[in-house]
Amino acid sequence: MSLSRSPSPVPGGGWSSPGLNINSGRSSPSNAAGSSVSWESAKMRKQGANGYPSFSTQNQGFFTRHMRRISSSLPRFASGPGNTYAEREKYERGGHSPNVGGGRIRSFLARIGRRLKWRILLPLIILCTIVAYYGTHEAPGFVHWWRRIGMGGGGEKFVILLGANVGGGVMEWKGAREWAIERDSVRNKRKYATRWGYDLEIVDMKTKKRYAHEWRESWEKVDFIRSAMRKYPKAEWFWWLDLNTYVMEPSYSLQRHLFNHLDRHVYRDINVFNPLNISHPPTEEYLDAEARSPVGDGNINSVNLMLTQDCSGFNLGSFFIRRSAWTEQLLDIWWDPVLYEQKHMEWEHKEQDALEQLYRTQPWIRQHTGFLPQRLINSFPPAACADESGLNNTRIHYNEKDRDFVVNMAGCEWGRDCWGEMYHYREFSYWLNRNPWELFKEEIVAVIWYKLTGQRVKL
Amino acid sequence: MQHPHDRERLRRTTDLFQAACHPAISVSDIITAQFALARPREFEEDDDTELTRVDILGSHGAEPFTILPLHLSSNPPPFRPRSTRLPGLRRSRIKTIGIVLFLVLATLWFFSNPRVPRPDPERVPSGRPPVVLVTVIDPTQYPNAYLKTIKENREQYAAKHGYEAFIVKAYDYDTQGAPQSWSKLMAMRHALTKFPECRFVWYLDQDAYIMDMNKSLEDQLLNRQRLESLMIKNYPVVPPDSIIKTFSHLRPDEVDLIVSQDSSGLVAGSVVVRNSQWSKFLLETWMDPLYRSYNFQKAERHALIKGTQDGKDGKLIQKQEHIVQWHPTILSKLALVPQRTLGPYTRTDQGDAYQDGDFVVMFTGCAKSGDQSCETVSASYYQKWSSSV
Repeated sequence: MSLSRSPSPVPGGGWSSPGLNINSGRSSPSNAAGSSVSWESAKMRKQGANGYPSFSTQNQGFFTRHMRRISSSLPRFASGPGNTYAEREKYERGGHSPNVGGGRIRSFLARIGRRLKWRILLPLIILCTIVAYYGTHEAPGFVHWWRRIGMGGGGEKFVILLGANVGGGVMEWKGAREWAIERDSVRNKRKYATRWGYDLEIVDMKTKKRYAHEWRESWEKVDFIRSAMRKYPKAEWFWWLDLNTYVMEPSYSLQRHLFNHLDRHVYRDINVFNPLNISHPPTEEYLDAEARSPVGDGNINSVNLMLTQDCSGFNLGSFFIRRSAWTEQLLDIWWDPVLYEQKHMEWEHKEQDALEQLYRTQPWIRQHTGFLPQRLINSFPPAACADESGLNNTRIHYNEKDRDFVVNMAGCEWGRDCWGEMYHYREFSYWLNRNPWELFKEEIVAVIWYKLTGQRVKL
Repeated sequence: MQHPHDRERLRRTTDLFQAACHPAISVSDIITAQFALARPREFEEDDDTELTRVDILGSHGAEPFTILPLHLSSNPPPFRPRSTRLPGLRRSRIKTIGIVLFLVLATLWFFSNPRVPRPDPERVPSGRPPVVLVTVIDPTQYPNAYLKTIKENREQYAAKHGYEAFIVKAYDYDTQGAPQSWSKLMAMRHALTKFPECRFVWYLDQDAYIMDMNKSLEDQLLNRQRLESLMIKNYPVVPPDSIIKTFSHLRPDEVDLIVSQDSSGLVAGSVVVRNSQWSKFLLETWMDPLYRSYNFQKAERHALIKGTQDGKDGKLIQKQEHIVQWHPTILSKLALVPQRTLGPYTRTDQGDAYQDGDFVVMFTGCAKSGDQSCETVSASYYQKWSSSV
């Protein structure tokens, strides 16, 4: 039984997917207005509130959302009948007006001694400094900005593209689990990007593009990469991440993890690991030596696309692409309708298969493509790419001992529990990255307590 | 900047606070007075003497009373000019601060990451030879005498201008089931491989002569001014009414592909390509096997009009038109030039016809044998160019 990511309602009521009826959150179909969707309207929907289920709070505007808060913060003027001018005079002269909190604090400060004042002030200053340094959840701090500039690591050179709203799909329907997956995934990437000074661009995969007379789902990757390149003119590398991914080790910066030693990680000869059996290098005699070499020109700086291969070939759940003339050409040709028209019935994995096809037939693509060991940026959970042995494949599957960087729950929407996996890895990542205080509590205090009393406690 | 007035205002304010202790004066009175003080300029008219009278209205609107005087001394104390250095900054401290600053910067530098490199700039070929002239001949279908004149034509022209002639046989390349005409793409790619330092590759079909042997390709086409004047901008790439038009702001330096148009489409028989990474991309995309197998809508019509014998050349042209129209990275490098500068026909019904003095002539549509054979059609032209050498 495959649990599709967008279950459909069955005529008698309820949903066609078992397990979602009981506690899957919402139970009304979303708006049915999507019958005649053109590219423009799909695009507009991205902007508007239309795409979200109608029962949820819609962001109708600033004043609707904040009216209560604004009105309660306005100054209050007493205008009762007994409150005459003279009376108010007296009132204020008494020196204590009832609703002025500031006055109370001021009088308190006036009463306490200078030393105590400093004692209160100093921790406050330290707190403010820390906040300014590390930033808050909403506003990035000094570290963020420092890490963005060239000297602090050049975080502005990296953009994370996260394909969200996948389940929206054709039905434009999402259940509680889908929302939860999206929330966790987005929060994970946002925290990561803020921490290291990268930019995060969340793209709406629902805006399918009508292209050459047909809808193409999940091909928008190409378009989104292109528009991100326009939007972030300073960025060099664009990291595409599918929604079902989780950054397990937020303390790894891309620079230290990967980019400072690209030549150590990237392999360009696909024969190192070649599940698709692509014959490499090309042998046509009309090609030049560079095109016929298995490693291109051998210069690491000529790699413009870095991806990983799983058990069945290219995997585009997590890959890096760099701004260059070559990239523009690739993105341009990737879309070609003639290729699509001939092959789309065979291309089960859409843009992924198209890229494989291009890689096979066009040597100029090989010359600037590099491969990364899969577990560097794209570890799989044991359920993906599983073979009969049930053992973890050291090339493919996540290994906590090595503290793998990113988990990609690839293919979880076909018969596996996406939310379960996401939840598992989220908690696991928290557990792996406990702070010293938590470690002290859980590894020392709780253990001693267990030894003494025989009871496990959660601190 | 501290102005004497500021001092003065300060003192006056203190006085006002003293006044505030007076039971008869209310807070609002003081505010009024302060307001007056905030605008000392108004009082400057009679400054230095007795400004001093600030009338304060009683809060109950009763008769005004006066605070007298508000101690304004008429000659403020003199100020020494401030020393340029900050008070706490001794020479020794400057040294310490400098060392600390240096250490901080050094630490930052030490911990800073290497920069993210930009892609390397593309290597510019040195231009030896400047142009490679590519022609694919088919000795299996055409008489040797005719092909010999073609070879002679290309080689003489190349020798005259310091170019290289690259003449290959169609069956040298494995087109994997596609018609032999596709081998022209492989030949062009091969030319880029064989002459990595050339600046341009000019592909000219077998059935064509270069008529004006004295004119170099630079003078004819490639010079910046010349190309600028020839480029047809903002014009449908595929006649008559394609909505895709050539770029209107393209500069000649950015042009990587020069083609011309006949009455029904692009002319694939005479094409100039700049040697670059882009041209490899173009050629390898153009010869993608999936394109070779695709049944283009207009392919057959093309084959009919052009009268090419194997009837498959149309697909090649279709493919060219397709990639030009669908891929902005290609369109943005394309310059369209008038047909007579690059490849006029002998026939008049398919496009611009050859006129005396033109650079090139193409016998498109000539037959392999018989009355309209290429050999017969080309004979008179052979006379013309060979006599001029």
